[in-house]
Amino acid sequence: MQGLSSVGSQLVDLCSALLLLTCFAIVAQRRLSACVDLFALQSSFLVVTATLVAYLTGNQHIYIAAGLTGVIKVLIIPRVLKKVIDHLNVKRELVMHVNVPTGLLICGGLVMLAFFIAQPILPLGSLLTRDSLAIALAIVLIGLFTMIARQKAVSQLVGFLVLENGLFLGATAATHGMPLIVELGVFFDVLIATLIAGIYTNRLQDAFDSVDTDRLTVLKE
Amino acid sequence: MTIAVLVVLIAPLLAGGLSLVVHRSAWLHGINLTSIGALVTAETVLTHTVLSDGPVTTLGELVYLDALSTFILFIIGVVGLACSFYMRSYMDEQVARGVIAPGRLNLFFFLFHMFLLAMVVATVANSVGVQWVAIEATTLATTFLIAFWKRRESLEAGWKYLILCSVGISLALFGVVLLYYSSLHVLSDASQGLNVTALLPVADRLNPHVLKLAFIFILVGYGTKVGLVPMHSWLPDAYTEAPAPVVAMLAGVLEVVAAYAILRVRVIVDHAVPFAFAGELLALLGFASLVTAAFFILIQHNYKRLFAYSSIEHMGIAMIGFGIGGPLGTFGGLFHLMNHALAKSMAFFAAGNIHRRFRTVEIEHVQGLAMAQPWTATALMISGLALSALPPFAAFASEVQILTALASQGVPGMEFAGTSGMVTVAVSDQFSRVALASVFLIAAVLSFGGLLYRITGMVWGTPSEGIVRGEPWTLGHLPIILLTVALIGFSMFLPQPIKELLEQATSILVIQ
Repeated sequence: MQGLSSVGSQLVDLCSALLLLTCFAIVAQRRLSACVDLFALQSSFLVVTATLVAYLTGNQHIYIAAGLTGVIKVLIIPRVLKKVIDHLNVKRELVMHVNVPTGLLICGGLVMLAFFIAQPILPLGSLLTRDSLAIALAIVLIGLFTMIARQKAVSQLVGFLVLENGLFLGATAATHGMPLIVELGVFFDVLIATLIAGIYTNRLQDAFDSVDTDRLTVLKE
Repeated sequence: MTIAVLVVLIAPLLAGGLSLVVHRSAWLHGINLTSIGALVTAETVLTHTVLSDGPVTTLGELVYLDALSTFILFIIGVVGLACSFYMRSYMDEQVARGVIAPGRLNLFFFLFHMFLLAMVVATVANSVGVQWVAIEATTLATTFLIAFWKRRESLEAGWKYLILCSVGISLALFGVVLLYYSSLHVLSDASQGLNVTALLPVADRLNPHVLKLAFIFILVGYGTKVGLVPMHSWLPDAYTEAPAPVVAMLAGVLEVVAAYAILRVRVIVDHAVPFAFAGELLALLGFASLVTAAFFILIQHNYKRLFAYSSIEHMGIAMIGFGIGGPLGTFGGLFHLMNHALAKSMAFFAAGNIHRRFRTVEIEHVQGLAMAQPWTATALMISGLALSALPPFAAFASEVQILTALASQGVPGMEFAGTSGMVTVAVSDQFSRVALASVFLIAAVLSFGGLLYRITGMVWGTPSEGIVRGEPWTLGHLPIILLTVALIGFSMFLPQPIKELLEQATSILVIQ
């Protein structure tokens, strides 16, 4: 049992690290559809992590959460986003507020910051998933950074979804999943939020002939 | 008891479902008024029960109602009722004018009911997690209401609102996860780990490090919804672009519900962490909001933005009250939440009337309101005076309470080198109290001057050519009259049930 849990813990760490790695890939990627593919990949890593945690801890309800992640974040949301991108006239991020190398460096800094913040509270967690909480916080911060650094409404949306993935990893890894009713509610909210944001992107495209959020400057002091 | 809770939850749900299938305007309004009437009635029953029997847990521990949540429900009910009456004349005029296609009217009502439902769920939920889901649902329900006119500006405001609030709320979710993380080590039944009823008895055994981190995330997250500086940038845009009844709900109720979510967690945190930690953070954001908003009120040339910044100012004042804590500061803060909700919804009703007549949001282009729309002019003056916290309005009483608490107790943690190291003010206790009270007074006086100066400029003078004079009576005037009575009345005579609710809610928030 000791051996199993140590292998398990390493596997969970590996999967969390892969999630973090895809974050960096998303930050480095300019093509919008590739960003969406990377997000789908990241979500599938999340499914694997959640399944592992479910198997190792014996918490049945995490299987449900993992299944829902698979359906919603690997299948439905990427398809919706692809549809939205098809409707756009520009498929690439042309101008970014922060260029790629600087962005990657900043993300590296954010990871260190996340580990620094999470350090005092990590010893509380179970041995299995101890480091995942810090990684989850790092993913949340990188998602936030992506939303600030990118211009296109779609890539901001991807940033938001990455942030949400980080939260889900945190909830699964640190606490072995929140009460089922809360998790279902969170999935519901994320799904609706993505659909609404997709509709908005189309409307912005029609009204402004662009989804550059920099053009949204009518309202200011 | 359980029936009343079910009515509060099912009335908006049913009304929302019916709104989707009904198309006649009169029916839609009828459904709306019936459901909000049922909600208010059930709310009255709940108030009575909670006051006589104490807190209630029902529906399999999913619902928890104490004096604090009942008080918030009361605000939702009153402002919701006022809005429903106002909508009767407002929406019909927009349809008649062709601004809203008749076919979209039911979509508006559907979203309105979902918004109401989400706020009720957020208020009565026992689990902090369910509360989070409901508050995120309010964002989703209102984003299309804000962008309802489909103009470029409203799309921009709606998008900003959706993105900023969703991100803010996601940070709050991380806080909720951390709260759950801390409870796992203490509670045996993990499925109860987010319930307020389960957390409160064991709160003093929760890990303080985790709770501190959790509170920061939750404060920043829900603070975005409250509109606290520096997370406020969506608020003035959204309040300018959204239809008037929606803004009245956003300003009057949603801010209060988000503040309530912060307070719920704060009580738990206060058990395990020194009181000064949360108090200091709340007061810090409160002062930032108060001072920033006072500045923007002074330079404002758009009356809807003027009221939006006034919202930020008043929520800042309430947060300062909660930050100071103690019976006086907390009571003042809660009382201020209610006074602001009533006065601000009335101000936005008046603003909606002005916008429909003058077709502009620029203060300079609105003149002679007293001649063009005497009823609206009166409403604007009354709400303006109430928002400036002048006597005899109740907001005066609550602001004085907060100021007294500030001058006598000071903000915990701000008078010495802060316990948490956040603010290091190495000055004597008394000096810092006087300094903070002066900042408070100066900001309050600045915004008072700015607000009244702008409003009186709009009311007096002669209306320009082409503006119709005179204002026929509509159902939309009823809530204005009722709110006026409440605003003045509450300062002289606070009805016994409301007073008891306020006192009991205060005692829930103050830890002996």
